[in-house]
Amino acid sequence: MGMLDKLEMPRKMCPVIFLLDTSGSMTGAPIGAVNSAIENVLPELISMNDSNPDNEIKVAIMTFSFDADWIVGGNELLSPEDVQNSWNDLNAGGPTSMGEAFRALNDKLSVSHGFMKHASGSVAPVLFLLSDGEPTDDYQDGLQRLKNNNWYKVAARVAVGYGDSNDDVLREFTGNAETVIHTNDAKELRNMIRFIAVTSSRVASQGSSVDNTGNVNPDDNTQKTAEALQNQGGSLATADEEW
Amino acid sequence: MADFVPLRKNQTLRLADGRTITVTDKLGEGGQGIVYRVRYDTGEERALKWFFLGYLKDPLQFYRHLADNIKVGSPSEAFLWPEQLTEYVEGETFGYTMKIFPKGYESFSRYLLAKAQFKNVAAMVDAALNIVAAFKALHNKGYNYQDLNDGNFSIDPTNGKVLICDNDNVMGHGEYSGVLGKARYMAPEVVRGEKKPDKSTDRFSLAVILFMLLVGNHPLEGIKTNYPALTNKYEKKIYGTEPLFIFDKKDSSNAPHKLLHQNALRLWGFFPSFIQEAFCQSFSQESLLGGKERLLEQDWFNILMRLKSSLIRCPHCGEEMFLESDRVTVCQSCKKSVKAIGHLLFGKRAGQDVTVPIFKDVVLYDYHMNSLSEDFATKAAVILEKPGKFGLKNDSNFNWKIKTPSGKILAKQPGEVLVLGADAQIDFYNKNIAQVVVNS
Repeated sequence: MGMLDKLEMPRKMCPVIFLLDTSGSMTGAPIGAVNSAIENVLPELISMNDSNPDNEIKVAIMTFSFDADWIVGGNELLSPEDVQNSWNDLNAGGPTSMGEAFRALNDKLSVSHGFMKHASGSVAPVLFLLSDGEPTDDYQDGLQRLKNNNWYKVAARVAVGYGDSNDDVLREFTGNAETVIHTNDAKELRNMIRFIAVTSSRVASQGSSVDNTGNVNPDDNTQKTAEALQNQGGSLATADEEW
Repeated sequence: MADFVPLRKNQTLRLADGRTITVTDKLGEGGQGIVYRVRYDTGEERALKWFFLGYLKDPLQFYRHLADNIKVGSPSEAFLWPEQLTEYVEGETFGYTMKIFPKGYESFSRYLLAKAQFKNVAAMVDAALNIVAAFKALHNKGYNYQDLNDGNFSIDPTNGKVLICDNDNVMGHGEYSGVLGKARYMAPEVVRGEKKPDKSTDRFSLAVILFMLLVGNHPLEGIKTNYPALTNKYEKKIYGTEPLFIFDKKDSSNAPHKLLHQNALRLWGFFPSFIQEAFCQSFSQESLLGGKERLLEQDWFNILMRLKSSLIRCPHCGEEMFLESDRVTVCQSCKKSVKAIGHLLFGKRAGQDVTVPIFKDVVLYDYHMNSLSEDFATKAAVILEKPGKFGLKNDSNFNWKIKTPSGKILAKQPGEVLVLGADAQIDFYNKNIAQVVVNS
């Protein structure tokens, strides 16, 4: 090997974790919008990885209805390419076991017994929650456990509420009203998921140049995400729009 | 405040100078705004950086800052400098035009990700020289960059030409953009919150960039810094309060990790002692904790020129290697020893040694002919080898004057070859003299 044959510099892992409500009320247009949104988000994450020598986004996706189910990356987080290659559309049906989802997430947010172990370390994760209804189980217990988790504390926490979602619960989850967005329109739902997921992933993985305003705790990635969402005026053009 | 609205295709905008531009395409998007392709009425194309409204904390001040930089002008052609602002409308966002990124350039980030690779070692060394030359031009013009990081550069892998983008935060001396930079590239005193970015902190960032370019890992990331969770607390430790060079001469507790930092472990030995020394000085505890001992652009320039003129092919295996002027060098590819018979010793430049090993095919540049020249591209001489002797072919426009040890005076015109005899003194131009030194 010569002087020019360099290996990729080691990157920190930037976990992007989706918790998706697939309860019965999501059937039809809403679940279609979620499927389409995830398909649209993955190429954006791939392209972010393609130009970021600091951190590499890895993905896990959990659905919750009867119980919590890691459909992607439950043992080890996957690259967005691998998710793209193995992605199957989600189906909806069942209750909204959000407490179970929080507990299952808390179990995995650990270096010693979860999926946060990475040879070169990790940066704060993105925790993305989507829901369209009231939790049908005891969400408080799960949320309390999460709140004691150090990864949760530094995470960029964002949520999208649809239809009859209980946005108070979503705000409790994010701890920041500005990173919860609500819509009642299935078509808009897809764009919102994309907007929130892409922006939060960019904030978490690119770490943005630090400024000295001193207003934001540097580990408050949720507030940084709130500001990034605000900066963009709450809307981005969508990928399939007429250019 | 009005919402940010992305531009649409065929939308026209007025520039501050009264001309109009038409949006034709979207080129990219980042944390600060969106970059569009636009066209002047003349058909000429430009890129337009269009800021997110919320990104602008004080829009009018930032607008005036950009207008000033446009007026003062670009430090050198390596900068994709703002050309013209769109007109200022109270309460709305704005943008500026610049040249479109030419094809063939690859972002420095992609070299770090091993997705881009230089065509040859000479192109890599030229890239380093071009980066240094660009920052010298910037600082000479009274600016400092303040947010130097891997995302700002693009390099042509075939020839090492460099383009520097994202010049919006470039500030005049004493001005401050409010941006501190990206942690991995920030000077420790800025990370510690003791100082705002300036020329001296730019120079630290420059040394980080050069190290990553040549050695392929971060100078402060080793076994000690491999924390499982990189939160602000640890970031401050690694890059601010407890920084330690991975090749620190006195303290090996942050040595490269054998799996994570294979580039550093494998490539450090490729570089001659004077390059290793320059990095050891740049990342010494005195520099990291005291802000001292930092190399100026002029220092780097001379050191990198020495590197450039030490590039040879190993006589045993044919791989490219850097040959020390005055001592045995082990080829890192075949592990065999190579030694030059002697070297050309020039007068120091800005305190830095200037030497060239006497070895077949080594090239001298206009830089070596004239002590005021900074031209590292124009070839001026080449070392030739015949059985039992080495020659120096004059490919320059200068008439060389040579004084032999016996006091004889010779002259070599362009195109002629001088036999390199022991202890001869070559005056290339205007008392810029090199001595032929035989290695012991």
